[in-house]
Amino acid sequence: MEIIEWIRFIIGAALLLCGLLIFLIELYGIFHLKYVLNRMHAAAMGDTLGISFSLVGLMIFSGWNFTTLKMALIVVFLWFASPVSSHLLARLEAATNENLEEYCQVYPELDVLEKELKEKRENQEKEEEIS
Amino acid sequence: MNLLENISIFDKIYPGMFITVLIILAIMLFACLIRAVKGPRIADRIVAINMMGTMVMVMIAVLSLLLREGYLVDICLIYAMVSFLAVIVISKVYLGVYKEKRQENEEEMSQMTGEGGDSDGNY
Repeated sequence: MEIIEWIRFIIGAALLLCGLLIFLIELYGIFHLKYVLNRMHAAAMGDTLGISFSLVGLMIFSGWNFTTLKMALIVVFLWFASPVSSHLLARLEAATNENLEEYCQVYPELDVLEKELKEKRENQEKEEEIS
Repeated sequence: MNLLENISIFDKIYPGMFITVLIILAIMLFACLIRAVKGPRIADRIVAINMMGTMVMVMIAVLSLLLREGYLVDICLIYAMVSFLAVIVISKVYLGVYKEKRQENEEEMSQMTGEGGDSDGNY
């Protein structure tokens, strides 16, 4: 029994430390990268991987409880919530930044692309009619 | 006697490790706060606040095992939901405020330059 307890402690502590390490990497990324859309990558890592590592470690500590179930629920909820909030933040940044071209490559809007495609197709049809 | 000693060893190890983890998380929380104060754009601040929310969630979960109170994990779950809702509401509100401001600016510009200023104001 003693050995099992020690094994449980070591595995849980290792997972908890992995979670802390990932939070540290996230923090380094958020200070190292230069623009918000780049920083968002680092921030999303901690939201999913960091908290799932540390909560799995805490689950191993707590054993078979309802506490474990609630922690699993938190992890699953964050898997769904984090991409949605990241998407909304990226949309906010892309809509409010006046000079986005300085920081990243901006493609033309979808309407412009569709118009160009239509013109191309019409030109091709005309050429086929002529030939 | 041996069993009692083992239990006392674990009783010493677990709280010490939990308190160390809590201290490390608190230091990282302050670093996040620095990012939120420094961030040049508003999306920067919201990202930092989101990160702080995640770290506080881990802190509450660790605290619930340290104090042996299971109901603290419920608070952690509710905290996750509230921080998700806060990000959504703040980004939507700021988008609305920005659009209103831009419309007012365009109206002022068109009034300043006469009636001809609304040729490309339809986006």
